[in-house]
Amino acid sequence: MQTVPERLVAFLPNLRRFAISICHSRELADDLVQTACERAILAADSFVPGSRFDAWMFRILRNLWIDQLRRQKTAGPHDELEEARDVSVPSGEAASLARMDLLEVTAALQKLPDEQREVLVLVCVEELSYRDAAEVLSIPIGTVMSRLARARKNLAEMTGISFGEKRSSDTKRGVA
Amino acid sequence: MTGHDFDDETLMAFADGELEEARSLALEEALAHNEALAQRLAVFLDSRRLVGDTLKPLIDEPVPEALRASVHRMAEEAKRPTPSQDSIVPFRPKRQPATWRWLMPIAASLVAVVAGVVGFSLGRMAPSTPGVGAEIATALDREASGRDVTLAASNLVLRVVASFRDERGELCREYELKQPESSTLTIACRQNGAWATRLALTTPRADGYVPASSQETIDAYLSSIEAGAPLSPEEERAILAP
Repeated sequence: MQTVPERLVAFLPNLRRFAISICHSRELADDLVQTACERAILAADSFVPGSRFDAWMFRILRNLWIDQLRRQKTAGPHDELEEARDVSVPSGEAASLARMDLLEVTAALQKLPDEQREVLVLVCVEELSYRDAAEVLSIPIGTVMSRLARARKNLAEMTGISFGEKRSSDTKRGVA
Repeated sequence: MTGHDFDDETLMAFADGELEEARSLALEEALAHNEALAQRLAVFLDSRRLVGDTLKPLIDEPVPEALRASVHRMAEEAKRPTPSQDSIVPFRPKRQPATWRWLMPIAASLVAVVAGVVGFSLGRMAPSTPGVGAEIATALDREASGRDVTLAASNLVLRVVASFRDERGELCREYELKQPESSTLTIACRQNGAWATRLALTTPRADGYVPASSQETIDAYLSSIEAGAPLSPEEERAILAP
């Protein structure tokens, strides 16, 4: 069984992806990842062997991010965090979507409320179960499901791409 | 069968492979001859794929070298049983609960005085100035976050930093009280209709800013009580007294 410090290094790309996905800035993400790793090492004893390491790490990082958001409020209206947010389009060409679609989805994701985006990322990107996502976010499963459903419907409304194709009776968006 | 028996969350759970078997079978059957239902399901299938396609490739980005090296170094150091200057003391199993252990280095570096964590009531905060407690409580009931408020009775300046809910859903507020020589960061939560102080940190005032180390202690404390995300200005307005 690998120890927490040993696992951390291997888990970096994953943790960084999660951080970028929730905070939309590589710079902020890298700071978050660094601090989360420090905390994880100090709190290594609280990791239960056999439980999901990814969920445990996501929870640490996500709590740090919430703390930062809270601090951001102190900074007043001109907050650096908001300015530092950049578009987090993956630089690789691996994405199967057309670049336009990708930009549109990225923009829509950024417009989602934080609480909807984080649950969306945990389930649809990191592929956590509803139960594990509920653990990470310290909320009941029912809340995970209602937020997640709302997030996806919002996303569909905002992008309209690949959702509308099959729907002829989609009057809500009226792209006449 | 109209498909109305299946709400959005059921369709979503099916799309995510989280629907129990009996219900899944019923849904599959309904899908076979219900186009509208299939289209509602498509929203959840497509959104999962779309978000995945957009964000999953981020994992292929190379981790910046500085970050990788730094975490690698931390991990290496953690693996060694930290030999102290004179490593005579034999390794002793640590018994403190994890939360406290990681709070300790932060607390030790503090110039601050941690005033009674629990049960430290607002009234006792500035015993020399009667009425301050009540004034603070009123400010906590009414003032929006982010604004300086001068307290008439004492001339102290109070600024609510943020509002949030604790693990039990109680409304809590983090606020800063600026005295001439020092500044106190406090977390107070509403309990049985009154404000109870949960944590207060007093630090000497330096350029009007709270030292980063107290902020870290506050953050550590907030994590430990599983504080929720700060409320938005709208949410806050809805809760505060008019």
